[in-house]
Amino acid sequence: MEMVKDVLIGLWESSGFSIVTGKELIMLLVAFVFLFLAIVKKFEPLLLVPIAFGMLLANLPGAGLMDDPAFLMTEVVDGVEKAHWYEDGVLRLIYAGVKSSIFPCLIFLGIGAMTDFGPLLANPISLLLGAAAQLGVYVAFLLAIILGFTPEEAASIGIIGGADGPTAIFLAGKLAPKLLGPIALAAYSYMALIPLIQPPIMKLLTTEKERKVEMKQLRTVSKAEKIIFPIVVAVICAFIIPSCASLIGFLMLGNLFKECGVTERLSDTAQNALTNIVTIMLGVTVGATANGEDFLTASTLLIVGLGLTAFACSTAGGILLGKVLYLVTGGKINPLIGSAGVSAVPMAARVAQVEGRKYNPTNFLLMHAMGPNVAGVIGSAVAAGFLLMMFGGK
Amino acid sequence: MKLFEMKMPLSEALAIAVIGISVVIMILALIAVFIILLSKAVRLVEGLVKKKVPASPAVTPAATQSVPEGINSGDVELIGTDEKTAAVIMAIVSEKCGIPLNRLSFKSVRLMDNDEKGGNK
Repeated sequence: MEMVKDVLIGLWESSGFSIVTGKELIMLLVAFVFLFLAIVKKFEPLLLVPIAFGMLLANLPGAGLMDDPAFLMTEVVDGVEKAHWYEDGVLRLIYAGVKSSIFPCLIFLGIGAMTDFGPLLANPISLLLGAAAQLGVYVAFLLAIILGFTPEEAASIGIIGGADGPTAIFLAGKLAPKLLGPIALAAYSYMALIPLIQPPIMKLLTTEKERKVEMKQLRTVSKAEKIIFPIVVAVICAFIIPSCASLIGFLMLGNLFKECGVTERLSDTAQNALTNIVTIMLGVTVGATANGEDFLTASTLLIVGLGLTAFACSTAGGILLGKVLYLVTGGKINPLIGSAGVSAVPMAARVAQVEGRKYNPTNFLLMHAMGPNVAGVIGSAVAAGFLLMMFGGK
Repeated sequence: MKLFEMKMPLSEALAIAVIGISVVIMILALIAVFIILLSKAVRLVEGLVKKKVPASPAVTPAATQSVPEGINSGDVELIGTDEKTAAVIMAIVSEKCGIPLNRLSFKSVRLMDNDEKGGNK
């Protein structure tokens, strides 16, 4: 009888119920909320499901999936001698792909393979709209500095305004790993909420006459242009800001796979299998960084607020330059396409299309908005490279 | 983290922000210039190639094989377009006009040059 009692006590003491902390319970609830949003409300489910489940796994009491006894992820040089790498939690080991930037770069490879730069090549002025829509990155950076974040943290928070998940993860993983969870969640949540965030700003900053503008059909882009473009852009960007070479390089490599016509199998793998595999690992491990100690702080709320500000300012930046171009070109450019300069592809372009049609049912802005949209991907990667150059110690 | 306790002078942060957005605009403007030059160069080369091969027929024979069944294809001339695209265009015309394909007769499907009025058609 005594033995049975000892076994039951031992079972209880080793179970999660006896060691769970209040913060872990709250984090589990947060994970449930995100799972609900992803599955029921369909907010970026392909990313939010793995992120929320990673959060759930990392906060299971006693499971140790993010433990780091071998100190592989710390600066303790002799730590590796005391423990083996395989003693780390499984999610911690996979997280090495985030820390080393392997996952964000591979995601960019997939994005490149899925992206058609044709609308951008047909209308190069789109690039300026993509650049102007990075305004929110720097506004949020300034606000974060004023609020008391370190420059590295402020840069990582600011990049949420680029509306590009992999870029935000890339920069936060390098500059502010402790804020990676909240930053990734804010970035992906706001990307899912773009159809709610952007339309009021678009309406506020444009007149009905501007919103009704019909744009001239885009020219046909030759195969040669599509092949030369990724090669030269990778070289230009890497020469000016070497720290953006990894992101831009992989983006353009993926695009070259798609366009060159002799690597169809590689393009197919990059677009589908590889992107899906990396998305799972990236999502789960990014979610797993959200532990109670780091996540349940005032900083998280500030990051959520700053992220929204960054998104709004980026949208406004693109639209305001769109208005300038509307005036300069004598009304040939619809300012609504400027909002697509935030890089959330293709959601932001779809919002421009939907809003344009509300005021002119014969309007078809989608392809015109895809130009600034893909320019925004390049713009946010360049912005991240600049911030990494400033604060990454390179 | 202490709220409003700045870890970097505001003037320095402002300078970084201004330089940062300027760098992004500069690089993307540079790429835009490159795209304009590239498109001109490609058109120039393509123009030269066309001049060197004057006899190449732009008109392809009637697309009898891949035109959807039921179309009165006759001698449809495909100019600068492929059979698949032509078939899609013919189906769209039929749908929009409300006339069955077997009662329509197409003479040609032609890709217009960019310089022609109205852009691509």
